[in-house]
Amino acid sequence: MSVNPIVILGALLYFAIIFAIGWYSRKASMDASDYYVAGRKVGAFVNGSALAATYFSPASFLGLPAFIFIIGYPFWWALVGIIGGMPIATLLTAAPLRKYAPTSFTDYYADRYETKWLRLVAGIPTLIGGLAYVVLSIVGTALFMMAILKVNFNVSVILATIVVFLYIYYGGMVATTFSTAFQGIAMTVGSVVAAAYVISHYGGLNGLTDATLSVSANFFNPPYASETASHALVATWTGMIGFFFVWHFGFSAMPYTVVRFFTTQDIKSARRSVFWAVVVGGAMYCGLVIIGTGARVLIEQLHPLMQTEGITSAVAVLKHMKTTYNVAGAVVTDYSMIAAVEALSSPFLLAVVAAGGLAIAMATAAGWTMVLNILLGRDLVGKVFGSKWPEEKPVQATRVMTILIMLFCMIVAFKPPALVLDISGAAFIVILCSVGPPLILGLWWTRATTAAAIINILVMTTLSTGSWMYAKFVLGSPHWFFLSDPAHKIPTPHQFYWVFVGFIFFIVLSLVTRPNSDEAILKYSLDLRPDM
Amino acid sequence: MFKGMPKIFWIGTLLMYGWVFFFMILEMNVPGLPLKKFLGVPACYIYNWICGLWLINILVSYIYFRFEEKREEFKEQQQVQGGIR
Repeated sequence: MSVNPIVILGALLYFAIIFAIGWYSRKASMDASDYYVAGRKVGAFVNGSALAATYFSPASFLGLPAFIFIIGYPFWWALVGIIGGMPIATLLTAAPLRKYAPTSFTDYYADRYETKWLRLVAGIPTLIGGLAYVVLSIVGTALFMMAILKVNFNVSVILATIVVFLYIYYGGMVATTFSTAFQGIAMTVGSVVAAAYVISHYGGLNGLTDATLSVSANFFNPPYASETASHALVATWTGMIGFFFVWHFGFSAMPYTVVRFFTTQDIKSARRSVFWAVVVGGAMYCGLVIIGTGARVLIEQLHPLMQTEGITSAVAVLKHMKTTYNVAGAVVTDYSMIAAVEALSSPFLLAVVAAGGLAIAMATAAGWTMVLNILLGRDLVGKVFGSKWPEEKPVQATRVMTILIMLFCMIVAFKPPALVLDISGAAFIVILCSVGPPLILGLWWTRATTAAAIINILVMTTLSTGSWMYAKFVLGSPHWFFLSDPAHKIPTPHQFYWVFVGFIFFIVLSLVTRPNSDEAILKYSLDLRPDM
Repeated sequence: MFKGMPKIFWIGTLLMYGWVFFFMILEMNVPGLPLKKFLGVPACYIYNWICGLWLINILVSYIYFRFEEKREEFKEQQQVQGGIR
């Protein structure tokens, strides 16, 4: 397998467009408001497309097809859960948070709960989840660099870090909003075109289904109704429903999407943005389902490496890639999506998909890095520890933070701790069960209290992180319930139940602790709701 | 809790969760349901892939913003009429 000039040309064209948008919009990002929240000038479609590109990451583009490849049809429900969670955000958080119009994710916690220390407390899970996401975005960008340039994985990681760094360094939120909107379109086109190729190759959905069953007879088996479920992780309802819920509430409460509600012109645009994000993101997910479903059969029937002596299965192809390009850890499984596209032997298709993959990875890295550098610079160094530096030189402060974040994440990306979708799932659960309840119930429940917010964030961060790691390192996978008997393991993907436990725990704590002042409740809860 | 949340929010969530869990429960009880033919293709492509994954969610997010805009327009009109009187 060698470098193809058409694929390189496609990637170069993508970079040319992205940097042209960044260069053009650079003139508009001269003050702090523009840099942080794009001057609140972004329309519904542009913001919606940017929302989709930011929210969806390599965990979606590479990880979801890889998990369909591993687990089979029941994992389709996880994708339904992710898109199904998006409309909920329209009225639950997008409209109230746009009405409040803060600059940073932690502003709401400090204002609603009347203590600057909540910036620090809410910053802990956000930092854990955010760093994990920047790592997986660098890994995703690196895998696409590897597919385009056919270079060693470590070289790809360095290239990916440099590209993402330059992209964020020069743009701020204005550049990342407009260029991210373009990236939203690019990733959707990449996914839909690839899916159309797959369907057309097998002569329709029936042909694709028959081909899939020919290499994986249990692929379409849900639990209970079939003798053998498609995979042990979906052999009970807890596995299937667990995967549905892992990412389900993310669009409403994950910091990197919530901040995009701040950039819209008004509440009307914020609500309409969600609609466009569902249209763009849903189309991309429809494509990913088809690619994931066809991945195994495509690789085994058509991939050029299947001609190599000793390679007899899709897994063997991926193992060969791992050795050839020195890919660390288990992330080579994430290459299955790219390998499926390679199998179709169309440089044009690979160029389109690679551009889409780079788009999705860079957009997420940029979105999260902006959240993290505002959190570390403006919020912690400035507001919590009282330094004037982030206030006087906001752009310089966030750029220094960007350098530190990118360096740290590049080092971790050389040897990723898990598959990109597993890193994503862990980040989602840690953030959703800890800072999710104080955000959502802070908006919609006057009884939510400061003590409950602090205790919930600290306790849930510890429990979710600890149980995830225990399950991964003791039971062998973060998808088993961490207290399971090793002989009879129960699937609870990513310990998803902590999200529901977190809400109940927060409610109970709020009921037994002192409420906030009437002024804070009026201003940051009652006044943010729709005018009835 | 959730006082002031527009009614359309609950209708939309009911529609989405109703669709998802109805078909999930059916799948766990009817052998071979995903592959049973419906409209000429395996049924899972209709109830899961096109409808559950995309169309239902487009519909729900559309009614969320449209109903809120209608409600706000109606409220503005009432305020204008109240001012004239």
